[in-house]
Amino acid sequence: MSRIVRQLSRFFASALFVGALVATAQAKDRVKVGFIGPLTGGVSVNGIGGRNSAELAVKLRNADAKAKYEYELVVLDDECKPNVAVQVATKMAADKEIIAGATHYCSATAIATVDVYHKFGFPIIVWGAVLPDITYRSKYAEVHRVNGTMIDQNDANAELISKLGFKNVAVIHDTTDYGKGHNAYFSKSLAKLGGKIVGTFGVTADQQDFTAELTQIKALNPEVIYFGGLTPIGVRIRSQMDKLGIKAVFDGTSGIVSDAFIQGLGPLAEGALAFREGASTEKLPGGKFFLENYAAQKYDNPPEAYGAFSYAAMDLILDSIEKVGPDRKKVIEELANVKDRDSIIGKVTFDDHGQNTVALITKYVVQDGKFVEWDDSEYAAGKRKLPGQK
Amino acid sequence: MDVGLLTQYVMNGLMLGMMYTLVAVGFTLFFGVLDIIKFSHGDVLTVGAFTALATYIGLRSVGISSTPLLLLAMLVVAILAMAALGMLIARYLVMPLRSAPPLNTLLITLMLGTVLREMVRLFYPQGANPKPFPALLPTGSINLGQFNLRLDNVIMLAAGVTIIIGLRLLLDRTKLGLAIRAVAQDEETARTMGINFTAIVLITFAIGSALAAVAGVMNGLYYNEINFGMGLLLGVIGFSAAIIGGLGSIYGAILGGFLFAALQTIGAVALPFASAYKDVFAFTVVIALMAWRPTGLIQEKISERV
Amino acid sequence: MSEVRQKPRAPLLPGVVALALSTVYLIALLAVEKQPLVIGLLALAVVAVLAAHYMDWLNPVARSFAEREGTLSVYAILAACVVAAFFHDNHFVLLLFVTVLLYTVATLGLNIEFGYAGVLNFAGASFFGIGAYTSAVLNTYTAVPHLLVLLIGGMLAALIGSLLLLPVLRTRGHYAALVTIAFALLLKTFLEVNDVLGGPQGMQVKGMSILGWSFNDNFEVGKIEMSFYLNYFVVSMLLLCGTFVLVRRLERSWIGLNLDAVRLDETAASCFGLDIARWKITAFVLGNFVIGVAGALFGMVGGFVAPNNYTFADSLIMVSILLLGGIGNPWGLVVATFIVVVLPEKLQTIQEYRFLLYALIVIMVLLFRPEGLLPRPVRRYFPGWRA
Repeated sequence: MSRIVRQLSRFFASALFVGALVATAQAKDRVKVGFIGPLTGGVSVNGIGGRNSAELAVKLRNADAKAKYEYELVVLDDECKPNVAVQVATKMAADKEIIAGATHYCSATAIATVDVYHKFGFPIIVWGAVLPDITYRSKYAEVHRVNGTMIDQNDANAELISKLGFKNVAVIHDTTDYGKGHNAYFSKSLAKLGGKIVGTFGVTADQQDFTAELTQIKALNPEVIYFGGLTPIGVRIRSQMDKLGIKAVFDGTSGIVSDAFIQGLGPLAEGALAFREGASTEKLPGGKFFLENYAAQKYDNPPEAYGAFSYAAMDLILDSIEKVGPDRKKVIEELANVKDRDSIIGKVTFDDHGQNTVALITKYVVQDGKFVEWDDSEYAAGKRKLPGQK
Repeated sequence: MDVGLLTQYVMNGLMLGMMYTLVAVGFTLFFGVLDIIKFSHGDVLTVGAFTALATYIGLRSVGISSTPLLLLAMLVVAILAMAALGMLIARYLVMPLRSAPPLNTLLITLMLGTVLREMVRLFYPQGANPKPFPALLPTGSINLGQFNLRLDNVIMLAAGVTIIIGLRLLLDRTKLGLAIRAVAQDEETARTMGINFTAIVLITFAIGSALAAVAGVMNGLYYNEINFGMGLLLGVIGFSAAIIGGLGSIYGAILGGFLFAALQTIGAVALPFASAYKDVFAFTVVIALMAWRPTGLIQEKISERV
Repeated sequence: MSEVRQKPRAPLLPGVVALALSTVYLIALLAVEKQPLVIGLLALAVVAVLAAHYMDWLNPVARSFAEREGTLSVYAILAACVVAAFFHDNHFVLLLFVTVLLYTVATLGLNIEFGYAGVLNFAGASFFGIGAYTSAVLNTYTAVPHLLVLLIGGMLAALIGSLLLLPVLRTRGHYAALVTIAFALLLKTFLEVNDVLGGPQGMQVKGMSILGWSFNDNFEVGKIEMSFYLNYFVVSMLLLCGTFVLVRRLERSWIGLNLDAVRLDETAASCFGLDIARWKITAFVLGNFVIGVAGALFGMVGGFVAPNNYTFADSLIMVSILLLGGIGNPWGLVVATFIVVVLPEKLQTIQEYRFLLYALIVIMVLLFRPEGLLPRPVRRYFPGWRA
């Protein structure tokens, strides 16, 4: 019996010893904040742009002599996959040293992780995901969002389509909650304006071959193909449309507003429509400031469509920590009181679900290899015509 | 259903079938010669496609832009590179394990496939993203009602058929083919007859991998896109096709390849609410076929020494 | 007969020392965060193992483990509890630990199929997923008590496995492999396109609760706050012990003997009157049951199931754990699972490269040491019996 006692005490002694060593090594005065985005995979340019923007916010704050704490950014990759997102979210939220985070570009990942953040009491601000359910499905005090939701986007989309005289639309959407959300909201908006959906097709987020769906669509002869999904399959669908000889307008959402879309298609991208909430980065109130500082850091990648939002989210987090200290509960309370706060994207107010309202929707059309605002484009002026436009 | 639409579906099916067949034939060749399943075949296809892309980018950057020349160069480089890769795999990974249980070879080639796939993803610049593949075939097309007959599809189909016929001729009419068939039938006797076993194995691997390279380039030309994961599914489908057709028989591989494509197309057409189910449908049929005819439709002749 | 009884049993000390050192090392490895320290610790481990090998210290350890397994197992359980107690409020480390435990259980199931009966199963992760989805569906839609959910998860995996096995029984080797690979792909695609089961978005799983004690709430013992993952740790530990005992007993029993015979030479075994099909089915069903139960518990631990967690690549990881650890050796599996699960989490720099790394390591193992890290010794009929 005593032998076992001796051995047990040996275990505990060594364990305590090691524990003491480790504990002393960790007494420091830095504050950790987190960032999660898709750093690898098909939409990585958006994730990397967002990460660079958040990093910029942290760097500028650390260079500020008036800041009370020194901030360290912990970056995790959610690969735009819900299961990976839940893992990294758990990892970040379970680490008590990380106070708050700017999270997620992909809606599929953001909706999967809200419960994790709530479980651990970890305050987050979403910077790129547009699915309304993220903030509206449950009332979690931890979850906030600076960018807008897809409802307004799809309203504007349906409006433009109807205005241009198109009546028959075929819908292709990916089967994640993101694509399904787009489908639901767009179909509602279009129906209100009298348009007709001739067919709806769900595809997987990594599908390669769309000839089956597109062949059926060809038989239905729509004027517009609405695509609710992200850039990688947007590129494939558009190029396979061309292979099958389908001459319809390619109408996308904020998911395709990315340089990768144009690079992937080359001249085929011409005439594609897209919509996004918020003004183009240059036209934002703090846009010039943001772009100048971003360029000064000489990053390899551009901030992409949502970089400015990521910067604003991180800035908001840093402001809160400065005000109430590195305490998760206090940060959550502080974020609940955000009203008409100034930021580079304009005034930010979180409603009772933590959602900021971004009223302006920018309409884009791809012209000569660039996303040009619809109102400034030659299409609106009548100098060029979309396929099938009268 | 509209005849034009039907023809379009048939055309889609034929193209898919051609690509699966090229992969399946490779599997069957390897199995016939060495009695092993080389699972990395699909990923060799991926590496071949990426090699071709890299060649294209390299040549374009030095100013060559003549399309036939580019296409030829890409094919040649990809074929030679993959043949070399195939020989290396045979020499250093497969042959040393000939005395081990066949499971080990299966596993090692599976892992090798993963290695190849991950190396492309990690070391090719931005390998994780899908890459646009240039459209180098003439893009004219004839519209016959609902059916859009594309010139590049016809060319690829014709090329595929030629290659398979060429392979068949190689195996049936040449001395090399005779040697390969001899080794496939009985290794020991073939050696006794003076056939250089190692050389034949290496050559067979080279041929199979070259086929994979062609399939990879074809895939790139058809979809105008390649990504690092394309080999995995193609490999499994090619493997299934080779098995349903009966391992060891080239005709079986052809049959299996087109059969699988037909299953997928029928699945896509017959289940209109979710054509995504087509893969589920195809694989279920494969499993059912295996239950019915375990050694494939064109039966493999197994004799085993007790 | 008396000679066997009189041979002195191997001393307990080498095993105990090895266990104590491993525990301390594990605590240190799990506790440190800074990368240089982690790399330093790993290098230390490699050096220590090599040194021990050269000084022939590993043999006594192996012998004492082999012969004093009962006592050493109890100590191992104690050691695990010590580690868990040390990290009692660190959510992430406990989650990692629980993941290792459950993956070990699943791989033990795979071991029954493959290590003992020689039945190839490349769909291990898919059966794990079937268990997880079972717990997701049952927890969300019904009020079945959670312990029963675990059993149902296991049974469903076993049932589907037995259906899958029927075509495989009539074939050999690679044909059997194809069926399981096809199933792995099929299941993932099915789960993705199927909206009822959540589609690619997956489903949330409610946490476990037994007799009103909810597993998902932090609790306190006296004034010390404990992470809620400790609840899951206890259940996982029980599951692992149960499975370990099962596997060991199985190996030593006449069932194990039959399975070994079937694996080693089917023709000879059938000449001796063994019904090959029956034994293969037994192994497959048993193995899948174990995998299913582990999957059901893991679903509740993680709180989330999605088709992307249970792909063919994940099945390959399980197979590589099996190969690394030594086919047929449960202790080897424990070590291998630790390496495969903990290493990429600790060594952040290799996170991206982990698939590549595993594949390379397995290739090396297959080329140079095909029996694995801790190969299964030749069958022991009596404890202490030496061939």
